[in-house]
Amino acid sequence: MAPVMALARFRLAAYARSHRAVQPLIGLLPLLAILYATPVPAGAELGAAADSAAILVPVFAWAARGLLDIEPDEQRMIFRTAVGRSEAVSGLLAACAYDLALAAVAMGALVLRLSGAPGLAVLLAGGCLHLLSVIAGVVLGALTSRPILPSPAVSSMVLIFGYLAMLLISLSGVRWLGVPLMAWMRDAHHCVLLANLPLLTVQSLLWPALGLAAYAYLRRTRP
Amino acid sequence: MRVANLSFRYGRRDPWVLSGVELGLGAGDVIEIIGINGTGKSTLLRLIAGLLRPVRGTIEDRPGVVGYAPERFPAGQPFTVAAYLRHIAAVRGVDPRSAEEWSERLGMDHLLGQLLPDLSKGSAHKVGLAQALLCRPGLLVLDEPFAGLDAATRDELPRVVDEVAGRGGIVVVSDHQGDLRALPGRRRHEVRDGTLREVPVAAPDDGSDVAEPVTMLEVSVVTSKAADLAERLRAEGHGVRTVGTARPGRTTGTVVGQ
Repeated sequence: MAPVMALARFRLAAYARSHRAVQPLIGLLPLLAILYATPVPAGAELGAAADSAAILVPVFAWAARGLLDIEPDEQRMIFRTAVGRSEAVSGLLAACAYDLALAAVAMGALVLRLSGAPGLAVLLAGGCLHLLSVIAGVVLGALTSRPILPSPAVSSMVLIFGYLAMLLISLSGVRWLGVPLMAWMRDAHHCVLLANLPLLTVQSLLWPALGLAAYAYLRRTRP
Repeated sequence: MRVANLSFRYGRRDPWVLSGVELGLGAGDVIEIIGINGTGKSTLLRLIAGLLRPVRGTIEDRPGVVGYAPERFPAGQPFTVAAYLRHIAAVRGVDPRSAEEWSERLGMDHLLGQLLPDLSKGSAHKVGLAQALLCRPGLLVLDEPFAGLDAATRDELPRVVDEVAGRGGIVVVSDHQGDLRALPGRRRHEVRDGTLREVPVAAPDDGSDVAEPVTMLEVSVVTSKAADLAERLRAEGHGVRTVGTARPGRTTGTVVGQ
């Protein structure tokens, strides 16, 4: 496991040193400014957290894709010979770590704009939704990374339309086919999210699990 | 390690790059892969290194520690040479001091503080060799390792290869320029028309064969194929001199047999 963690550190360092880590902030910070332009009223905290988590999926995906594409193809091959197929695991871990830092910024912004004092359960549920958002974003970013989609144009379009498809599917009767982003927001604003959270969590993890399996399968022949 | 009936193509509609390749690699073997440009040498090296999966056939008993130096080292990374090699040592789980040892041996210790994108082609190539060597590989795969190197490193690299082989490692090298000619005991294979065949190795260029007579062959070849033939013959250790065009469409070359 030590080589995998060392490789994750290498990628995070390369991402930070290349300043590409700043790019997702261009999406994150304006979105947070819009979401929290006015203070969050007491009792609306969970709705605000759900809105934030659902809206930030493409930002997390963008960040994950940027981090996974940080090294040249030849360098990725060198790492393949060093750690084998764990190279892909290392990339996903590094992407998760960076996206979790972005999610922490988003939760921090929410807490700073609270009018009331929500209970711990509400804050934990908000954190849980952001965690699910990070997982969905990392998988979407991985599936649009360069080893899978070498064309930057195609990759960007798939990322954007993949997120839009996620939103549309979550409005339909087969919301479990994607990540039920609309259900997160609807249940949170209708104050039934805490009761429905276990089912929503399972439904929200199904697509990422399938996406990760597809990523692992495709990376077998795409070093 | 054994390569058995290996065939490879990049896509289902693409032509086969390699077909029915057989190769046995034992401990201490040094295999030199030759062939003209675009015949699949780099593809074969990537298959041997485990970077590509054979479409057909198998590669068995690959050593656990593989060092791979690509033909073009990816210098576009935001690290100094020292920081890069420290990271690689951590990923490989080896002592970071081994990076300094290899830097000194390959004559690049003065480059340790330089950023990778600022390196010349040859210096970047040395970094690529160092990262492949610092893990004490059981299988060392070098794709055109002599390209752009200075004379001192060109002389040193065959000794490094010999050491890796001497401790039981397998070394597979693609070499256009014949810089491994001083290394005794190497085996040479040529990639041609999608297949791999063993070809004889010329005697070492160490002066021991000075007394052996040299035969001059005059070869006529279609102009479009002259460069490929000359390159192939040079790779096999022969001297080649182009004399000129005898008549439209044909070039006459003189081949000096060694």
